Parts: sequence; structure tokens; C-alpha cells
Amino acid sequence: MKESEFVVIGGGPGGVAAAIEAAKAGVNVALLDENERLGGQVFRQFEKGFKVADPDALGMDFNEGQELLLQFSSLQDQIRYLNNTLVWGIFKDHTLALARNGTSSNLSFKHLLVATGAYDRPVPFPGWTLPGVFTAGGAQKLVKSERVLPGENILLAGTGPLQVVLADQILKAGGKIEAILEAGNFGKQWLQGLIGIWGNWDFLKEGLRYWHSIRKAGVPLLRSHIVLEARGDGQVEEAVIAKVDKNWRPKLNTARSVKVDTICLGYGLVSSTELTMLAECEHKYDLRLGGYIPLRKANMETSVPGIYAVGDGAGVAGKKVAIIEGCIAGISAACSLGYLSSTIARERIKPYQKRLNKINRFRKILDDISLPRKGLYELATDETVICRCEEVTLKQLKAALADDTIQIKDFKRMTRMGMGSCEGRMCGPSAIEMMRHRLNAPAEDIGCLRPRPSIKPVALGVLAANNTMSMVSGVSVQVSGRDRGQRTENK
Amino acid sequence: MPKVEKRVFKDVERGRSFEIQLDGEKIVAYEGETIGAALLAAGRRTLRYTNKFEHPRGLYCGIGLCQECRMIINGVPNTQACQTLATPGCQVETQKKFRKQES
Repeated sequence: MKESEFVVIGGGPGGVAAAIEAAKAGVNVALLDENERLGGQVFRQFEKGFKVADPDALGMDFNEGQELLLQFSSLQDQIRYLNNTLVWGIFKDHTLALARNGTSSNLSFKHLLVATGAYDRPVPFPGWTLPGVFTAGGAQKLVKSERVLPGENILLAGTGPLQVVLADQILKAGGKIEAILEAGNFGKQWLQGLIGIWGNWDFLKEGLRYWHSIRKAGVPLLRSHIVLEARGDGQVEEAVIAKVDKNWRPKLNTARSVKVDTICLGYGLVSSTELTMLAECEHKYDLRLGGYIPLRKANMETSVPGIYAVGDGAGVAGKKVAIIEGCIAGISAACSLGYLSSTIARERIKPYQKRLNKINRFRKILDDISLPRKGLYELATDETVICRCEEVTLKQLKAALADDTIQIKDFKRMTRMGMGSCEGRMCGPSAIEMMRHRLNAPAEDIGCLRPRPSIKPVALGVLAANNTMSMVSGVSVQVSGRDRGQRTENK
Repeated sequence: MPKVEKRVFKDVERGRSFEIQLDGEKIVAYEGETIGAALLAAGRRTLRYTNKFEHPRGLYCGIGLCQECRMIINGVPNTQACQTLATPGCQVETQKKFRKQES
């Protein structure tokens, strides 16, 4: 078994920033990432085969990501980077269980950083399992990194600024968008929004740019609208949409059908907390920040000493916050490992802390508008499948509730909800919300679907093939897009 | 074949193209594309049928979490189409309801 001083799980902006800061201070870092290439979701790189002709056409995320990843690759002597590596469990004595290239192995750590990101909040409604219904994140990955449009006539629905980003990407790629439905009412709170945005000019500029691109393409943006139902024979052929009230309950007299073959849904994000939960860190429920999230100190440490959490997986806040939090955690870890004095660490953290406070002020306003309201969780009918893997319907869940189910974990025993191969990621978050509203109880009383190892399906053959030798060497970082020589020349 | 080209060819150059087998039929894929994306570009959206209701399912989360895109790829069932890169000649089959084999 190998040991690393500081293990970082997740190669998105938060994990990469933390690895960079810790490595710069002299710490021996290991970064484990599930994907072939570094970058996470937001800074996802192209697979081998694709060549970027015009990086500027790909948007700000792409170029911003390239810079961070180049900095990471310049620290290769200090950072052991393992791609295609799934961390499927955390066990006693600071041990991680890994699956990589068809074999399994262990890795122990002194300090650990979990930066596992987030995924689109799944919302069940009639027809949501039809092929042609995508999450916004899934559609974005297709357009951004595979250069394939998800459909011919696309409807975007959901809430928050990520929708507008996706719309811009689809339009730039030459796709056709029927309409963008925003469930929240951004109009009335516009003035409030402006006050919050004050002092966050780059956010405002970014938002306006996307806004203009959508206006120019003539795509209608309908506020206070949601999708009630997806219809079609074997795949999406139409969507039923309607205006909603302030609780996001549809006004049925406004319901109408639109002919689309694709529906992309982005109702905010859910934090991936499987690993912090397995590590027995304390969590609290905050729907604004992505559901259950680990409690943290100002230095990003969780309730378990030596385990840090940053980025969307510790509270959804986007790439900018992830990078700042990553830097703070990297410096803190370096300090507690003895590479930095506490005075120097404090000095280095100060500017990051300042920026974090500034962004948080702006976020509060957006979060309030985008917070999923009750009505969203009333769309499912008795026949609607809530647990996609085990095909458990709302009717079955209601029957279980009548039978005195009071905690969400009881659904497992009674209906098999949450026991399929997605490990409860697709049904858990909405089941918590549905129960919370129905029982009028705090989420903490309802509990959660406790993750169990392995947190993603791992084949028995992989578990049986225990190969510690494969862990010895890391891989070098490939940054797609511009190569390094060209980059230096440009500067 | 779909009516409208879903692949985007501007701003990014694609690698070489090759054929893969989908339920015995040939479709085109490009180097660096996942099987899920290649199938979508070829107009195929249903990737599997569920075990209980035999409902069609396709790409949903697209980032390896929801497990809806499980197909039989090169003979291995429950392989995620959204996470598996297409390779020349790979065999992809729609995953149907699981039935016990008669012995």
C-alpha cells in the first residue's frame, strides 16, 4: 500500500487549484481523477482525435481552464496524477479504495481533499424518462466536448444562469432552440439583483454577453414557465409547458404543447457528497447549496480533521468559488503538514477569503430566485417513475408513506427505491424534497440515502484483480487546445 | 440516417472517421467520440429497454452517473455508452430486458 501526504480527489477547478497551491509549498500531492483527461465538467478537455482550430470560439471557460491546467502540468515533479481512477470507497485508517484500468488497489493519505463536484438536479415529471430528455449538463458535454447537438429542435427548461450558458453554446454550434423556460421570476427581482451585482463586474459582463447572443438569435426566453410533461412514442415529440405561480405551481389554463424533439433540463445542481458521507463527515441540508453538504471551517476542513472539501461538491457555487476554495484548502493542508508557517499561510489565504466574501454577496440574490419551489415536486403522477433504475413509481412511494415510512432510507427496504445502479443519485434528491413538503418536516429528520461502497458500479473482476503495483507511477498531463510552445509565444 | 447533421464541424477539427456496428448495422464514428455521441449523431436515441416495464431509455445525465445508457459493448453488458470511446469496428448492441437463459 502506498501513502501520499495529500491526496486530492477530483480533477475539476477546485481539485486542480488545491493541488497547485499545495505542490508550490513543497507538499507531495497525488491527484486522482475519474476521467481520461483533467478539467472536470467545466474545464473538460477534448478527447484525443479532436483538434481545436479556434480556442476563442469555444468560450471563456475553455481558455480559463487551459491556463489552470498548464500551471498544473508545470508542477509535474511534485504532483502524482492518476487519470481513469475511481475512488469507490473510504475505509478506516485513512485508506482509499481505487479502481483503475481494470484492477483495484489501496492508497492511504495523511490529508485528503474531496473535490467531487456536482450534477444536475433530477426532477421527475410525466415523460421524463423518454429518450430525448437530457440534463442540461449532459447536453452541454455533448455540444462542448463531443461537438454533437443533442437534437434538431431543442427546448431548454429549468432555472439559473447555467441555462443561458448552454443556450449560447448550442446557438454558437448552429443548433436550433425553440424556447428557454426560466421557472423563476427574474424580472421583478432585477433591481435587487443589480444591488447585489454591484462590485462583481465580470459576472455581470459575462451574463450580458450570453443574454445578447440569445436575443440576437431571436430565441424566446419565457420567465415563470416550466415543462409539465414530455410526450412521444418511444422518444420526445412534444413538451407541455405552462406558466407557474410563485410556488412554481402550473397555471393549467396557460398549458400548451410545443413540438420539440429534445428537452434539456437544468434545475440547479446537487452536490456529490458520497465520499464525504462515507468518511463520516458531518453534513447539513441546504437546498440552495445543493442538498446535503459537508460542514466546513473557514480553512475548508470538514468535521473530520485532515479531510477537506471544496467546490460544488461541498456547496454549489461554480468554478470561480471552487478555485478560490481549492487555493485556501491547498495552503491550509500545506500549513498543517508543516510546509508553511501559520503566519505565511494566513497571509496567503487573506486575499482569497476577501474575494470569496465578495462573490457570496452576489450569489445570494441568484440563489433566492433559482431555489427550486414546491410546485416543481408536484408534477409527477402516480404512474411516473421516480427511481429510474428500479422503476419505482410515485404510487408505490405513496403506499410506502402511508405505511408509516418516516425516513427516506425506509423506501429502500419497502420499494427498492435507490438500490439500483445509479446508487440513488437520480431519485434521492427529489425524494427528499417530495417527502419534506408532504410531511412538512425538516430534511434532517427525513435523512438521506446513505452511500455505500462501491459508490459507483465496479465489476467483481476489477475488485478481484488487486494490483498495487499499478499505483507506482502517475501519468503526465496532456493539455488539449494550444500546445505549450504556442502559448508561450503568444505571451 | 438523420435528416439534419448533428455533428458540428466548425471551430474544432475532428479526427479520422471509421465504422462501428450498431445491432449489426454499420454507422460512422469519429476518433474521440463516445459511443453515445456517435449513436446520437446517427439518429439513434434508444440505447436500452428497462427490465420491469421494458421502457426505452437513452442518454440522460451524459456524465457517467445515471446509468441509463448501459449497452452491450463488445459483448460486455451494462457498459456505459456515454463513457466509452468508439473504436474502429466495435460492436454495440441495444440492451434488452434481462431474461434467464434456458438450459
